[in-house]
Amino acid sequence: MRKLLLITVAAMLIGSTSFAHHSFAATYETGKSIKLEGEIVQFVYRNPHSFVHVDAPDASGVSQRWAVEWGGTTQLAQAGVKRDSLKIGDKVVISGRPSRVPGEYRVLMVNLTRPADGFTWGRGANEVVD
Amino acid sequence: MRPAILLVALALTFAVNFPVVAQFGAGARAPDIAGEWRVDSAEDPGQPPLADYLGLALNEAGRLRADTTPESIWGTPEYQCRPHSAPHQWRGVGGARILKDLDPISREIVGYRLQFMRSLDRPIFVDGRPHPPAWAPHSWSGFSTGEWIGQTLKVTTTHLKDGYLKRGGPQTSDMLTMTEFITRHDDILSILQVVDDPIYLDEPYVLSITYTYDPNAGPATENCSGSSFAENGGRDRHWVPHFLPGQNSGIGEFLKNQSWIPFEPIRGGVKTIYPEYRSVLAKSTTVNALTVPVSKSANDVARRIADQSPRDGQVHVMPIQGNVYMLVADGMNITASVGRDGIALVNTGSAQMTDKVLSALNDLARSVVAAPVANNCFGANCPGMPSWSSPYFNAVVASPRPSRPIRYIINTSAAPEHIAGNEKLAASANFRRAGGAAGFGGATRDIGTAATIVAHDGVLTAMSTPADKSAAAPEAAWPVDTFFDDFHKLSEYVNGEPVILYHAKAANTDADSFVFFRHSEVIAAGNLFSTISYPLIDTARGGTIQGVIEGLNHILDLSVAEYRSQGGTWIVPGRGRLSDTADVASYRNMLVMIRDRIRDLKKQGKTLEQVKAARPTLDFDGRYGSTTGSWTTSMFIDAVYKTL
Repeated sequence: MRKLLLITVAAMLIGSTSFAHHSFAATYETGKSIKLEGEIVQFVYRNPHSFVHVDAPDASGVSQRWAVEWGGTTQLAQAGVKRDSLKIGDKVVISGRPSRVPGEYRVLMVNLTRPADGFTWGRGANEVVD
Repeated sequence: MRPAILLVALALTFAVNFPVVAQFGAGARAPDIAGEWRVDSAEDPGQPPLADYLGLALNEAGRLRADTTPESIWGTPEYQCRPHSAPHQWRGVGGARILKDLDPISREIVGYRLQFMRSLDRPIFVDGRPHPPAWAPHSWSGFSTGEWIGQTLKVTTTHLKDGYLKRGGPQTSDMLTMTEFITRHDDILSILQVVDDPIYLDEPYVLSITYTYDPNAGPATENCSGSSFAENGGRDRHWVPHFLPGQNSGIGEFLKNQSWIPFEPIRGGVKTIYPEYRSVLAKSTTVNALTVPVSKSANDVARRIADQSPRDGQVHVMPIQGNVYMLVADGMNITASVGRDGIALVNTGSAQMTDKVLSALNDLARSVVAAPVANNCFGANCPGMPSWSSPYFNAVVASPRPSRPIRYIINTSAAPEHIAGNEKLAASANFRRAGGAAGFGGATRDIGTAATIVAHDGVLTAMSTPADKSAAAPEAAWPVDTFFDDFHKLSEYVNGEPVILYHAKAANTDADSFVFFRHSEVIAAGNLFSTISYPLIDTARGGTIQGVIEGLNHILDLSVAEYRSQGGTWIVPGRGRLSDTADVASYRNMLVMIRDRIRDLKKQGKTLEQVKAARPTLDFDGRYGSTTGSWTTSMFIDAVYKTL
């Protein structure tokens, strides 16, 4: 019984602290990386999380529409990212975490760079999606 | 919670409370549970590790469903604003608010309303009302009634949508019932929750949660900005994320840094949650050889599923929205638009129910269109009483005109259970189909009065093509207005709104449609959708699993949830309970998961028998499957396999 209780307590203690409407750790492969180079087709600046939609090729070279999950408006605003910071057609390079589900075009944002003007997010303090 | 701990908790609860009489007499007051409450502790964290089923009595179906349902299901358009499921809601962050609903005259408490972050108001009625019939809609909050037992409010909840038991995988079916015992001890509120879902659990799941009174802890305000675009499907808004069996990379992942925890109990199972399991950990026995005292479910799921579509020889009328009503007629659903233009019916049910259907429709027509009104008009031209005799001529006794108001009959398919009442119901109408003896100068044949029957042309073919040298249905039951196109609009408004038929290609058959009442926001789905069975797919008549899924996707494209992925457009299934967008999405999701599993097995070269042996529908069979009757799980798998 003691061992069973220990197991239970341990399982309770190692829970994630994320309380978003979904869990990042459960949604994405947080130990893997994916890089997208493409063009922004939509920027949804919203809560609880924003999304950047990017046209970029998949591993086989076929262009796909990727939904890249980003921070909520408060977090992004604190980092200087505004509703009009990104525009449709912007060429961007994004690094992120791929979805756990095979075939899903969904990514958790780690960092974003717009080479045209050097705009970047994800390398400064607190620039981690929460 | 282990049963022994549960018993102690229950004993403590009732030891504290039973000094108070069971019900509050005159002058006695129920404890005040209203206010703002801060969650203090829970037996489970709000977000447990992925695929951690420790302490859950998951059965085989529950484990498969948990393994194959990913967190990113939230990204589908229909679920982006989904609130937490009711079993999980107390464990969500953000505090709880409990409001009292008072009778405005007596000031008695007639109910409570619970609010949580990202939730819908959850009413608890304590005014003695019964729970709705099984064919009523289900919601994220369910339908709750409460009764005071001493100092404890016992809350019983039914009519819940499917959801999740806890985060990280474990799901619940819409057959669950939930019982809560809410007790206030000074500034502490304890909630004991019993979730009874035998579809996925071998015994009820019990847990307790403690809240503390805190005026500053109420739920935060928050809106949802969900998109109609899938967050995760690339360009496919109908993308349904799921894992094929064995594909979930998260299983056991959290043990990488906790290797001392054995793998077996994190997979759940009733035997792993009892103290007797220690002997398995000690390797003195195996889990298969272990016996434990399982707590029995009090939830008769088979009866509750059957009750959604009762074969009771009766017609049950449920108002839906706007002009539209659902008639549950001995197991078949009929949709009726009722108004001043007459009645437009979608499907007619079985032949033996026709008289009762007609009687129910006439009652509806009289009550909706020509309800008795006070006799306050005297004269030959009293307005507003079109179907009642004028009080000028009959000032003492008013009598309604015989009601024969059926104007249109729409058939969503040629399935016998949907067309058998056509002939009799069509003949009951008083609308002329053609010009009549005097019409068009007598140029047209007088075919009398009858409702116009509308359907896809394939329905006419199926009903009229001789089978064994005689047509499948009498000529008077055949559609007279058919269409070949993707959709067909009735040529005129009916009761103030457009009515549009959409063809679902190669779905249950090659001739299925669904019907959209565009102002009332009601869709009659026909056989595309059922809440009591897998969809019937008649491969001999051109039916395919892909066609059914695409038909459901089309319904989802036309539907809009009212708020937080609930309500809005109502969908009447061919059989079963009244549903909304989220219910159709859930059914679609299930079919996509089953389709992909069978397709994957087929790609591996498995024969049909091998596919059946792999049990690709295991996690849904308790809810939708059948081993007997005219449409079994085996027949469903046959149809899916053949059409992929």
